[in-house]
Amino acid sequence: MKKAALGVALTVTALVTSACGQGILGGDSKKDKGPILLGMDIPLSGSSADIGPYMKNGGQLAIDELNAKGGVLGRKLQLRAEDDACDPKTAVAAANKLVAAGITVSVGGYCSGATLPTLPVFDRAKIPMVIPAANSTELVAQKLKHVFLVNGTGDQQAAAAIAWLTKSGAKKVAVLDDNTSYSKDIAVRTGAALDKPGAPDKTSLDAVTPGESDYSATVTNVLKGKPDFVYWTGYYQEGGLILRQLRQAGYTGKFMVGDGSVDTKLVKIAGDKAAEGTYATMTQTPDTIQGAQGWIANYKQKFGAEPGPYSTQAYDAVRVAAEAIKNADSTDGDKIVTALEGINGFPLFSGPLKFTPQHTLTSGGFVILVVKNGKFTLQDALK
Amino acid sequence: MTQLIWNGLFVGSFYALVALGYSMVYGIIKLLNFAHGDLYMLGAFSGFAMLGAMGGLVKSSSLVALLVVLVLTMLATGLSGIVIERVAYRPLRGAPRLSLLITAVGASFALEYGTRIVAGPNPKVYPVRLNGTSLNVLGARVTLQQLALMALSVVLMVALNLLITRTREGRAMRAIALDPRAALLMGIDVDKVIARTFFIGSALAGAAGVMAGGYYGKIDFLMGFIIGLKAFTAAVIGGIGNIPGTMLGGLVLGLLESFGTHWVGGQWRDVFAFGFLILFLAVRPTGLLGERVTERV
Repeated sequence: MKKAALGVALTVTALVTSACGQGILGGDSKKDKGPILLGMDIPLSGSSADIGPYMKNGGQLAIDELNAKGGVLGRKLQLRAEDDACDPKTAVAAANKLVAAGITVSVGGYCSGATLPTLPVFDRAKIPMVIPAANSTELVAQKLKHVFLVNGTGDQQAAAAIAWLTKSGAKKVAVLDDNTSYSKDIAVRTGAALDKPGAPDKTSLDAVTPGESDYSATVTNVLKGKPDFVYWTGYYQEGGLILRQLRQAGYTGKFMVGDGSVDTKLVKIAGDKAAEGTYATMTQTPDTIQGAQGWIANYKQKFGAEPGPYSTQAYDAVRVAAEAIKNADSTDGDKIVTALEGINGFPLFSGPLKFTPQHTLTSGGFVILVVKNGKFTLQDALK
Repeated sequence: MTQLIWNGLFVGSFYALVALGYSMVYGIIKLLNFAHGDLYMLGAFSGFAMLGAMGGLVKSSSLVALLVVLVLTMLATGLSGIVIERVAYRPLRGAPRLSLLITAVGASFALEYGTRIVAGPNPKVYPVRLNGTSLNVLGARVTLQQLALMALSVVLMVALNLLITRTREGRAMRAIALDPRAALLMGIDVDKVIARTFFIGSALAGAAGVMAGGYYGKIDFLMGFIIGLKAFTAAVIGGIGNIPGTMLGGLVLGLLESFGTHWVGGQWRDVFAFGFLILFLAVRPTGLLGERVTERV
């Protein structure tokens, strides 16, 4: 069944990107009057379904602001979101839908594992991608011309983790991941950094299979090395279970999670008592950024709710895309890529933007959060 | 070491409870009921819904509330089992084995995505959580709630074994397992007995679902898939169709996973478990306690 679905997806891709795609993708003059479409592949269902709406709202906020100022190239912008369910197969289908809809730039991507297979889809259609949230180093490892990350990479997240481990005086650290692209990336890099002289000791580098309930065997394995700090780099579903099972097994040391686990569901699954004091390496969220109050007020007024994780990154991704279209003075993919590479000092929430030759941020902008009274709050800006 | 054994036995008792339903259904009508793991999921969700409906009552006496919900859930999943048998399996009973296998897969998807439509795709967190103090038993850390859950599964398994070996109902089941046509000729209402078998197996899976919900806390609509496969593995290791063998198979599988994780790491746990399944199928296809049945022509 999987193969059949893949086959259909590939056929659609082939059709869209070859002959049949010409009418949609070629810069035919009829479309130059209509709105410029920006596409967003985000999880609206599945394990990370909570995140999608935050990103959609963040992107919409930027689009409304730009449209109020007259849009880009005299045309309005329009956001089109598709559900990737944090699942590779669904993501490819969603990406094909966006390509068929004729988007100019893709501003989506949350789960790295689901975003990876969509890269060739967009790249072949010559659609630039400004990826707001997904941050596995594998995304840029393929060196695709159209791929840009406006979030720190796994490398930068691992560096932030090491910085905090050293700063908080950890001695023996266990690293645990869930075998997905994003998670493994951070875990392996953190593990490698721990092996260097001067860093805290690494007691174990282990992985679990996601989707199960009982991780007691892994927990026993992790505790064998008597760590005083455990770093979990996967998502909150398993993270909550592992944290709870660690505490039940008598672990009293510190626990830290990667940005994929920053969600209040983590606290719910683990239980308030077990989760209190959990650290997290996280890209900046609106409530941890100084001077973002005005932005938060706008967001609340528009959507009637607090902005969540990655709404700022999605907001930034849309603005970066619009800026590049404006600078390129065209909706042609290759020209936009050149414009993106030329951006220098464009203000983002995480600081002025200038892409590295690998199309990643020059600085990661990771901060450390801590769970206080059941909520993630800022602990250290690592500045 | 004792911790590893304890972990294995605890997980194994869950596997065994789910595997029993698999094994019973296979034993009686030679059907691999792939929807069985999803009845476990259905149990977890119906328990969640009942606890939600009970609201404020729950907090005061959580263990009692869980027990009440457990019984009600067993009824609910048991009835669902009967419905599935009636709708998906009975009309195909005379059909080739392969058609039955396919409807079982279909029933599994129908349950999974039906639950997804009703309850939504996001994981849910149980309102009642079992929080127990822990004891030190021979160097292993054992919590009271683990003991309670394990005792409960042992009680359920013993009750089932008594039912099968000591009652008329059980004798009828065994008779059908041996030869359905002869059983019919002896005046046994075959359809009714098969329906009851589904009821019992599904109720046990539902019980395991509620127990898992209360213990681990997180449930989602795909949670039945992996445990369904594990239960199948447990049944094959122990001897599918053989009740004591299945219980043993569950415990053996739990121990295998526990030690496998210890020796080769967590990411290899499933490779280890399913690798063993292949080994067993190759070396001893009838399982630990299964007997080679001579086919009469």
